[in-house]
Order: sequence, then C-alpha cells, then structure tokens
Amino acid sequence: MNMTEALLPKSYHAAVERWRDFYLPDHGFLEASWEKHFPREPRPKLCAWRECGMCGVVECGERKGEAKYERVAEMPEEQARHLFAMIRAQASTEFGSIQQHQLTLSRARDEEEQVWVLRMMADELRHGYQMLHLLVEDDWSAATGRGAADLVEEILSIRTGDHVLGAFNVDFDSFVDNIVFCALIDRVGKYQLAMQRVSAYAPMAESMPQMLREEAFHLAAGVVPMRRWVERAARGSVEIGLGMLQKVLAKWVPRGLEMFGDERGGGSNVRWGFKPTRNAEAQEAYYQELGRVVRDLNLRYLRARLPGLALAEAEALLARLEAERGSERGIRFEELLRLPHREFFRRRGVPAFRMVGLDGELFTDREEYVRHLARVLPESYLAGRDFHDYLQQLDRVVRGELEPGKAAAQSPSLRRVGGVCPCSRAVRWVVDEAAPSAGTTAV
Amino acid sequence: MDRRPRVDPGAIRGAANGVDEPVRVRPLDELDITAVADIAERSGGPRDAGFWEDRVTSFLRRDPEGALIAEVGGRAAGFMLGEVRRGEFGIAEPTGWIEFLGVDPELRGRAVGRLLAEALEAHFRARGAVAVRTLVDETMPGVAAFFASLGYAPAPMRPFVKSL
Repeated sequence: MNMTEALLPKSYHAAVERWRDFYLPDHGFLEASWEKHFPREPRPKLCAWRECGMCGVVECGERKGEAKYERVAEMPEEQARHLFAMIRAQASTEFGSIQQHQLTLSRARDEEEQVWVLRMMADELRHGYQMLHLLVEDDWSAATGRGAADLVEEILSIRTGDHVLGAFNVDFDSFVDNIVFCALIDRVGKYQLAMQRVSAYAPMAESMPQMLREEAFHLAAGVVPMRRWVERAARGSVEIGLGMLQKVLAKWVPRGLEMFGDERGGGSNVRWGFKPTRNAEAQEAYYQELGRVVRDLNLRYLRARLPGLALAEAEALLARLEAERGSERGIRFEELLRLPHREFFRRRGVPAFRMVGLDGELFTDREEYVRHLARVLPESYLAGRDFHDYLQQLDRVVRGELEPGKAAAQSPSLRRVGGVCPCSRAVRWVVDEAAPSAGTTAV
Repeated sequence: MDRRPRVDPGAIRGAANGVDEPVRVRPLDELDITAVADIAERSGGPRDAGFWEDRVTSFLRRDPEGALIAEVGGRAAGFMLGEVRRGEFGIAEPTGWIEFLGVDPELRGRAVGRLLAEALEAHFRARGAVAVRTLVDETMPGVAAFFASLGYAPAPMRPFVKSL
C-alpha cells in the first residue's frame, strides 16, 4: 500500500496517550501478549495513515466530477459544519467504544478472545487519532468557532452517556456484550467507513482505506467467538447459550440500525458528495447482512448438533425449520437465533417508540409491551439506566405528552452520576506546550 | 455497499465458457468462512472448520485484501489466500505467496481460479511484489497445469520434509 504516516503535534499526541493510559490501561498487557497471539504481525502504532493515489474527483452529488476539496476553507460554511459534525461523530464512536469495552474486558473467559478485543480497542484508538488528525491538520475555526486545542479537548472529554450516537451510551453488562458489539456495531462502522471512502473532502476519503482494513478483523473478533459459543451450546454447554445470545442481539440490533440516522435522511450527505448512499439504503444493506450473521450462527448450531451434516444439508434443514417453525431431528425452531424485527425497540428514526415486538408483532397496550421487552432483553440490561430512560420516554409518548420525534431527539439522554472515576471530569487531556510540530513520512 | 463494496470498480467480472452468470471476485469477509471451509472440504482439502477459521481470521488481520472469494450468482465458487512477504526462504525480493486455492468442484471450468489469480496478482503488484510464488502438490497434476496455464514455471527450489 502506498500510504503516508503522520503524527499529531506533540501536545495532542501526548493528550491521546494520556487518554489511552486512563481508558485503555491494558494496552501494556496487549504489548506483552502480542508475540504470543499475533506473531509476525505489525504492532499497533498511534499515528494517522492516509492512502495515496485515490480518486481525486467528487464521486457523487451536485459536484460529481469536480475536484475534491483539499481544505475545509474551499467548501461552503454549511457543508463545512456538516462535515465537522460527521468527523466529530466518527471520533466519538472510536473513543466511545473503548470506554464501553473497558467496562467488561476483564470478564473474558478466554485469553485469545480478550486479546482480540484488546487489539480491536487499540485499533479504535488509532481511528480516533486519525479523526483528530483531520481536525488538527486543517483550519476548522470558521466552521466551528473554535481552535484545534478546544476541538481535541472536547472530543477526548466525551464519556459514556454523552456520545453522539446512542449505541455508544449503552453500558456493557458482560463480555458477551464486547463480542456481540464487535459483530453488530463495528459492522455499522464498516458501512460508515466504506461510505466515507468516497468523501468529497479528500483527507477524509484518504483516511478510510487503512481504517477499513483494520475493521475487517474487528468483525471477525465478534463473529468467530459467537460461532464458538454457539457450537459449544449445541454440544451441551450451559455457559453462553442461544437464549442469552438472542437477548444480547435484541439489546444491540436496534441501536445498530439507529446508527444510520433517520430513515428519511442522508440526502445532504449524498448531495454534497460526503457519502454515496442515503440512510435508508445503507441501513437496509446492513440489516440484510445481519441476516447473514444470524443464518451463519444457526447453521453452525445445526452442524454441531448433528455432526456429519454437510453444509447443503444444514441449509436445507434450516430452511425447513424456518418455513414450518416446527421441529425436526430433535431440533426446535425456537432454539434457533432470530434477527429482531427492524422496528423492534426503536427510539430513533421512523419507528421510534412504536410498540413493535421482537418478531414484528404490534402491541397496543403499554404494559403488555413492557412485559414483552422484559422477556426478550437481557435481565442485566433491564436494571440499567438506558432502559429506565426508555420506559420514561415511552410513557410520555403513550400518554400523548411527547411526540415520538421529540422523544427521539432527546434519546438517549443519560446523565452520568458516577462514571469510571469521579476525578475524571477534572482531567484536562490537552496540556499546552510550546511550538507543536507535526511530521509526515511516506510508508 | 460493503466494507469493500460489492460494486467496487476493482471487482473483476468474467463470463467464462459462454455462461451468462458472471464470476465476481471480491475480498472475502468473516461471513465467508463457512463457504471457504465447505469448498475446501469438497475439494479434498482440510475438513477442520476451525483450521479455516484460524487461517482466514489471520489473513483478515494481516492483509484483508489478500483474501479473495469468487461468487457466481451470489454463491461462493472459489477462494484464494495470499500475502506479500520478503525474506521467506532467503528470497529477498518482495514476493506474493499464494497459500491457499479452492474452487467448488461443481463450478470448475468457468475460469474461477484464473480470475482469482489475476485479482490476487494485481493486489500483490499494488503492494510492491515483483514475483508470485506458490507450492504445488505433485500428486495433484491439475493444480500444476492450472498454474502453468497462467504462466507460472517450476522454480529451482524443492520442498523437503521430514516427519517428527
């Protein structure tokens, strides 16, 4: 690959390292475990990589065929503000996921799975760094009214509960969340990065290819352990059964779907050349791919339950079980995983606060719907603030006190009452230093 | 749309043997592992699904664009895994090593292997490789003939083995 490698100015680089020491304290363990788990593979590096030789003209929208923007100052202010919001959101997800993973990382039962997640966290840190580099290397003051130091400080100060996208404000309850999050929520990241690969802002587009390469492993770090759990469950293990996985899917699939934004939106991104696809179209492709994930897991389950079953035979058996919803060869349809309906448990977008069940059934009674949610969501999640806030907003919507759209705009609105560390609010990540300088080298 | 979009301009299409359904080559992802294991099993390769999970995951970490899958009508038709390395067996020049190749026995004769090889060679070139090397089992003459048809010639280097 022909890429350039760049570092943030010293003070900002040090700020990210301080953030890493606070939120990713196990990076030293990853370093120490690297050779054991990833022999001959390059170690994580805190830097920004940009691909050389990418398409230099806008690939979609009103300016299709014209030269891409190299600097923010070249674009209209409205577009610059929009682009800044995209970069800030992307940065927020990268740093936010590390904060979430750290909560339950130590509960992993298997060292390989734990180290895979740790490696993924190190990659996410680099991705956040990459986004900060976009903000530091260009002059965003006209669009944001703020200087680079304030932008970096603000992004590094976001904590779980304050992130731009809802999925990053939901606490993890067990290591199952770490893994399912990789399989489902990182998959949204893959779609977003793939769309931003054509961005009309050249530095953004050039930042995407290496991030996408790294993202490929993140999805495997989710799906491969899930397959192993499913196969163990088929052989009788009671530790992580399909029932538990089904509930964790129910927790995360709605949040993943909402990460694409309102189904009616995305037109500005396409018109201005920042993404090639509107929200609904991208969300639909994602939902179809989630269907492939669930199907893959069910096939693994069937083949583990019935050793010797060829793939084609397993596919035929799965098709019959799904069509007839009955049982065959001692396996009941109800044992298998199901992809939650796309309108289930939504709080943003077109179906926000509609009372739709896991399989798409419509509820009219609030109490009955809440009992349904309690049956299909993880018990540990029910005890958390996220679900509590959802129920409060649902009540207001049901009573007619709040329009679903307004409730969506306010949701989630977690107020962090404790946090990882009570003193963390007092931390200032960026410490002023004289004469910052950035360097770029070809790699 | 995909991480590496299914409509990406680098995708190679072929309509071999006059069959309308095109062969499409794209980087494989973690959801293709089951299909890879299935093709390998039906081609006489390793039957252990865990083996393929380890191998493909390793490629996804190191060089995801060096792991390719071919599809015909949305069905997996073949795969090829390889990467660029220097210093292997004392070969200093950057070399693309083709490590695994599998074609669905029911879809042989449709240029699936050739299209996979062309796509992987293009990737090797982009990563700076100046040659492509592989090892061929002499008990599988069809594989040797396949590589010969693509311009590969026997190299003056023989594998030696000793059981332990």
